[in-house]
Amino acid sequence: MNQEVELIKNLKNPKLKNKAFKDLLDIYQERLYWHIRKIVITHDNANDVLQETFIRIFNGINNFKEKSSLHTWMYRIAYNESIRFLDKNKIKTSVSINQDNNAYLKNLTQDIFFNGNELQLKLNEIISELSSKQQRVFQMKYFDDLSFHQISDILNISENTLKSSYYSAVKTIEDKILAAC
Amino acid sequence: MKKSNQHKADISRLHKDKLGMAVPEDFFAKSKANILNKVIKPEKPKQSIFWLKPIIAYPMAASIILAIALIFWMQNNNTKNNNQITNTENIELWNSDSLDSDFLISSLMISDTEMDNYLDRYILNKIVIETELYEQQLENIFINSVLIEDSLINNYIDKSLIENIVL
Repeated sequence: MNQEVELIKNLKNPKLKNKAFKDLLDIYQERLYWHIRKIVITHDNANDVLQETFIRIFNGINNFKEKSSLHTWMYRIAYNESIRFLDKNKIKTSVSINQDNNAYLKNLTQDIFFNGNELQLKLNEIISELSSKQQRVFQMKYFDDLSFHQISDILNISENTLKSSYYSAVKTIEDKILAAC
Repeated sequence: MKKSNQHKADISRLHKDKLGMAVPEDFFAKSKANILNKVIKPEKPKQSIFWLKPIIAYPMAASIILAIALIFWMQNNNTKNNNQITNTENIELWNSDSLDSDFLISSLMISDTEMDNYLDRYILNKIVIETELYEQQLENIFINSVLIEDSLINNYIDKSLIENIVL
């Protein structure tokens, strides 16, 4: 926690900002990439959104009011950038991963950086069949290791609703994997 | 934080093992460099005209402004004088051709001051000097005539005297 306070202080100091931003990238770049990748699916899209996310973080750090943790604030920016990217693509290509599971799988399998086996593809397929809210909460909890409190801050949904959605998603996934085996 | 670092180290493996998602080799190092290039611009040296100390810079700036203002003022002043001179010359040229007939028209095109100046000079040049010259010429003629008459009378007297004596 002290490390985060120090980092925020340095990021808001014009003389120390560049150095602090490099430290920030070292700590959060990989985590935010995977958070974004699961939403936008392909590596190229994730790379674009990751860059936009960090540019927004760099430019907006002085507006960070510290009402939430820096960690949560950055995840929220990454999430919003990913959703904005999807909306933009939906306008251009009429593809929405939330409403069209086949589009999700099509995008996933066309990505040259997806080399999953049959079981991994099945898990992706089951996740794509969850509701949008269940997908997000499951991915953030299971893969990103965020707490319900942090997810609540990012998605602006109550913790109880998130818990309900998460356990429901886990049950669905378990049932479908067992049925597939 | 230890848990967090552990999670960071495992996060790529987790996504690869569970979801089959991979990233290019050295992707995160290259991505970091790209992001830094986009947000951190190389600092340019400050281009300031006031690199000197204020005690030197401000008087220097004031001197330059004063010099520029003086040049403009002198240029404007010269132009005004030239215009005045040109006007007067035009009047003189014009007057030499048709001063008598178009004097009234000419007087309407120039200022009263210039006209007064011109008239003063005209009276001095044309009337006073010419009158003096004319008087001098008359005087010369008179003197010449007197001299001629004297010589003629003398000649006549000499002639008549010789005739009388001889005859």
